[in-house]
Amino acid sequence: MKALAERVAPQSAEAAGEIVGACDRAGEKVSIVGGNTLEGMSLPPERVDLTLDVTALRGVVANERADLTLAVRAGTPLQDVATLLAAQGMFVPFDAPQPLYATVGGTLAAGWAGPRRHLYGRVRDYLIGSTVVLADGTIARAGGMVVKNVAGYDMSRFYVGSFGTLGILVQANFKTIPMPPHARCFLAPLPERTRERAAVQLAGLSIRPSAAFIVRGFENAVDGEDGDEGRVFALIEGSDALLERSTLEIRSALGRAGVPETQVIDAGARASFERVVDAYVACLGERSVTYGITALAGGAERCALEIEAVALRHALRTESIVDAMNGDAVVRVSDADALALGAKIETFDEALHEVQPRARVFASKHAHRASLRVWGEPPAALEQMKALKARFDPNRTLNPGRFIGGI
Amino acid sequence: MLRERLVEALGAGAVKTEPEDLAVYSFDAYTDGGRPSAVVLPQSTRDVCAIVKIARDCGEPIVARGAGTGLCGGAVPMQGGVVLSFARMNGVLELDVANRRARVQPGLINRELSRYAASSGLFYAPDPSSQLISTIGGNIATNAGGPHCLSYGTTVNHVVGLEVVDASGEVFTTSLDDAGYDLTAALVGSEGTLGIVTSAWLKLMTLPEDVRVAVVAFDDLGSASAAVSAIIAAGIVPTALEIMDAVITRAVEAAFHAGYPTEAAAILLVEHAGLREDGESCEAAIEAIAREHGARSWRSASSQAERDALWAGRKGAAGATGRIAPNYYTQDVCVPRSKLPEALRAVEAAAAQNGIVVGNVFHAGDGNLHPLLMYDRRERKQVAAVVETGNVILQAAIDLGGTISGEHGVGWEKRDAMTRVYSTADLATMGRVRDVFDPARMLNPEKIFPSGTQCVEVKAP
Repeated sequence: MKALAERVAPQSAEAAGEIVGACDRAGEKVSIVGGNTLEGMSLPPERVDLTLDVTALRGVVANERADLTLAVRAGTPLQDVATLLAAQGMFVPFDAPQPLYATVGGTLAAGWAGPRRHLYGRVRDYLIGSTVVLADGTIARAGGMVVKNVAGYDMSRFYVGSFGTLGILVQANFKTIPMPPHARCFLAPLPERTRERAAVQLAGLSIRPSAAFIVRGFENAVDGEDGDEGRVFALIEGSDALLERSTLEIRSALGRAGVPETQVIDAGARASFERVVDAYVACLGERSVTYGITALAGGAERCALEIEAVALRHALRTESIVDAMNGDAVVRVSDADALALGAKIETFDEALHEVQPRARVFASKHAHRASLRVWGEPPAALEQMKALKARFDPNRTLNPGRFIGGI
Repeated sequence: MLRERLVEALGAGAVKTEPEDLAVYSFDAYTDGGRPSAVVLPQSTRDVCAIVKIARDCGEPIVARGAGTGLCGGAVPMQGGVVLSFARMNGVLELDVANRRARVQPGLINRELSRYAASSGLFYAPDPSSQLISTIGGNIATNAGGPHCLSYGTTVNHVVGLEVVDASGEVFTTSLDDAGYDLTAALVGSEGTLGIVTSAWLKLMTLPEDVRVAVVAFDDLGSASAAVSAIIAAGIVPTALEIMDAVITRAVEAAFHAGYPTEAAAILLVEHAGLREDGESCEAAIEAIAREHGARSWRSASSQAERDALWAGRKGAAGATGRIAPNYYTQDVCVPRSKLPEALRAVEAAAAQNGIVVGNVFHAGDGNLHPLLMYDRRERKQVAAVVETGNVILQAAIDLGGTISGEHGVGWEKRDAMTRVYSTADLATMGRVRDVFDPARMLNPEKIFPSGTQCVEVKAP
């Protein structure tokens, strides 16, 4: 039996560089872990000799309040960043699940693209600088603490979404933006034959909500109760005037979609929104697999329905979250127990990818995860990506096999 | 051989090799450049592929060129090479209103896209001052900014996917919607050294319902910049915060009659966009901070025409300096926003010491300075003084924690300054990306990377 991989938690970039460099020279494979909250989005590394835990690399490096910039070590939990910034009236729209555990580095490495990105942009668009430990132990910096910088390639953004296969993020610098003063959420059960119309109405609002979802299932995880076709969850953020006008607009838009009652909640609106985001990757023990696909607005609802139809044919239970603003569809399929799921999931996965080749796995604690098409169809530029991996990590030291196309 | 093959592939009308034609393409808005071996005007992605293959066979480097408004010599070859002009690939290929996206060709003029999308209630946010002539392809190459990047972000935030011809003449595509490495981010701002963009999917934004522009007068540049730092520090990020000093304002007024007060030592141009109901209170909050920092007057534009005139003046500022001196050199540095007053003092001191007239017109909210150094190219002493002044300003920005380019790029001009902000390891890491996309260094060679590091090979110790 293979011995358990050694686990280290370096406290500095230099220490991380020495450890990784030594592994690289010795031909040992390194798995990089943060809060493990988005682990299910990628494949398990094919071999692990050493687990490098980045969570000891935490804390603020520079909080430049007057510049609206912040530099943190990559192992810092998102919640720490959010709390610090909230006290200054600022935020960075990470919008990632489980912010108490999720690290800044892990969120960036996973390329997490949250529901408010249609309004505020992606997290990558707030990244103004980075420090990375490369496979050979080199420490490389990019960008800085200025909000505009075109000196050389944009290496910081380039590492975003690379799942630690190009380097280990040890520091990230951000620009921050003012937190909108007020937030309000809307909950509405959807009667029969209103789901598609509601999605269209929400996407067409003239004052764009920060987030708008059509949810089905996820009882106890996402607030509100399903009608015949699920429920609407929307979040708006802004001034008093915006809340007032947007509320009228959302109510009448949903009314036009045939949704009679809309509940408006101000207290804890953002926390309520965060529970939706948590649900994106929430697992029912080992009984579920969650798939995600980025369609464009208008296509997401159809995607979710197609995935649900395939699941139905495999007698799997489904729950879904459709992001009406960005066009993301997230579907969790589950069965009575891990064995029941295990018996069907591979054939389901195959059938699903025939219909939706780009569907990715968002979350799964199931033992069968490695045999699923976790990454979906490879991207058009896979060859370029493989060549980049070979140039950055020729010995395949970092997270081998974890990424798309065997990278 | 080169000419014959290019003509055979694209027709004589697409190939220029006459000396007078080549001379035109040996300049951009920077002063220095070499003469290309040939200039080619492709009409399709397929043409671009053919050109790249022919150039490669003939051992000629390739320099992609938009409108040639770049200020760092990024779009001119240093010696020989094929210049690929996108003047004939300048269309909007697709407008997807529901998803607020447009697919465009690289030669499309920046401003044309917003014009095209306006009837759908949409606009393209990055708006470099050159937007009436500069192209999307060039904007992508430099990751161009502009006044409105303060709240909307630079070009990279607005590119969702690219079609690219690589150094071997093959096409590949990138998309933010796809899983995998963010090749879009690597390509935007790579100044034509990693690939040649042949079309781009761009993000459009919804036109705001309420836009307010105010002109604020100050008695000195220091107070104006302190006001900007204070507005930012208060957590207010308007859509634009631009400063012009008296040198610039007078030139602008003489050229455009835009409505700027010429007696003020410094002008702050504030734009705020949002909901109708919020306009007044937001404006009041900004005005209060400006007044605390010595604003002498605050005048809001009362009509769209007045707002347009103010912006036309602001964006035409550099050109208007032709009234002050025959030539100007624009420095482009970015500092942390709280360091603006210090950075401006450094600019003033550097210019005074070298006897150079300086005009300041810049994206203050981003900490992005653009001192315009006035001179006469025919006077060798003045040229030397300008070079020295620019250099001192560059170093001052670096010493304040800033960078050597906020939005214009590195190009040929600043390649050797890269070592002042990046270590050898940092540059070698960028070099690894280059190794993958352009191992033979045939795409816009001698740009970005410091001289002598073209073939840098860094191996683990």
